[in-house]
Amino acid sequence: MQKPASYRPSMSRRWWLQHQHFVLYMLREATVVPLVFFAGCMIAGLWALNSGAEAWVSWQAFMANPLVILINLLTLAASLFHAATFFPLMPRVMPIRIGAKTLPVNAIVGGMWAVVAIIAIALVAYFIWRA
Amino acid sequence: MMKHHIAKDEPLWWALFSAGGICFAMLVPAAILVFGLLMPMGIIPASAFDYESLRGLGLGWPGLIFAGGVIALPAFHALHRIRHSCADLMLGKESVNKVWAYGLASLMSLMAVGVVLVNLF
Amino acid sequence: MSQTKSIRVQRYLPEQEPEPFWQNYEVPFDESTSILDALNYIKDELDNTLSYRWSCRMAICGSCGVMVNGIPKLGCKTFLREYGTRVDISALAHFPVERDLVVDMDIFMEHLEAVKPYIIDKSKGRPTGESDTYRQTPAQMARYHQFSNCINCGLCYAACPQFGLNNQFLGPAAITLAQRYNLDNRDKGKRERMAALSEHDGVWSCTFVGFCSTVCPKHVDPAAAVNQGKIEAAKYTLINLLNG
Repeated sequence: MQKPASYRPSMSRRWWLQHQHFVLYMLREATVVPLVFFAGCMIAGLWALNSGAEAWVSWQAFMANPLVILINLLTLAASLFHAATFFPLMPRVMPIRIGAKTLPVNAIVGGMWAVVAIIAIALVAYFIWRA
Repeated sequence: MMKHHIAKDEPLWWALFSAGGICFAMLVPAAILVFGLLMPMGIIPASAFDYESLRGLGLGWPGLIFAGGVIALPAFHALHRIRHSCADLMLGKESVNKVWAYGLASLMSLMAVGVVLVNLF
Repeated sequence: MSQTKSIRVQRYLPEQEPEPFWQNYEVPFDESTSILDALNYIKDELDNTLSYRWSCRMAICGSCGVMVNGIPKLGCKTFLREYGTRVDISALAHFPVERDLVVDMDIFMEHLEAVKPYIIDKSKGRPTGESDTYRQTPAQMARYHQFSNCINCGLCYAACPQFGLNNQFLGPAAITLAQRYNLDNRDKGKRERMAALSEHDGVWSCTFVGFCSTVCPKHVDPAAAVNQGKIEAAKYTLINLLNG
């Protein structure tokens, strides 16, 4: 059977600006941009450790550049926003069932935030103890 | 019967993306806090980061966990999202985007894990 | 019904105009007037040339899906009282439009067919009917029950930018129904479905935008099903590689 004439709407490159949900989606995707910068900084740090004390000091000076600190502040915000979008998806994709009941989403999400806090506190405490 | 072309590589990229997503959410905030903010701002005294003792730590076993969890896996997470964002924004060709995206993630991983391994063994 | 509301409807009449155009209608409404009621009023009282699909009026047939202010909605489950002065009704996004609000859903049907959304059981011990039936515990039913509420209305496809960008993507509802049968203990057809799901245009085209789950009128959560499908597709692909 031949199909009747039809109109095929095409998608614009700016489709994600048309709804708040899509803007937040793109913002979530964009969290990885400062992440790539931070990962680059950390690679440089490891290479500085490998090169010697002088390289390490100049790497520390680079990290103390106000612009770098500002970008890393943005990276921290990005990582927390990423976590806030990522954690609620986990119990939906991997539901934990006990009999016919599913473990409540809030308990799992809360547990994951606790892990974030514990790791952060532990690492900060360790370096304060070293000093 | 329709012939199906199973995407053999996608499970690998997705597994790396997912593992990297957990690291980005759980390990990266702590790392940024210490090395991106508290160290450079001098809130934690510089003596905590002196070269001699940190070298052993950063290029030893803790450094290997750091290279994997804070650099390599998050790099795969990031570049996987960037590859898909290119498709979302209709930029480039999917087959080409895959090569440079996962190529860059592999290079970053190699640079991070490699420098630790060279010192470990 | 003293109040009226101005409603803009996107018309597409290929024999008159090659492109869609907007048309205004003044529709009386009260607290209980749905979008579908408004369309019926336009058809009966103002303009009998308007074309749209509908049937049950109670959110179970899944035929009255339209975009209201750019968001996929069931006409019967959405009310004029929820909107301010702007009410723009157009055909479901990402599907070819045949006429006014009527879309061609063939591609959706093809994707549904590809995942074999029915119980497959060729085992010798399968029930033969009459007094012989399957047994299923409440716990076994709970595994898939939410995903079985899909009414095939297509709102999730209109909400999915990945389907909009590439209509070969199997899409939310089809993958959800695949997962629904894969999780059913009566079913033995998982292997037959996983080949389609494990393609590039299967589960891997999803980037978890998640809007499908937001718009779903039956709270099915297709985004969760698709991403559960990624775990299954990963397992299936690995087993396939190991078996050569």
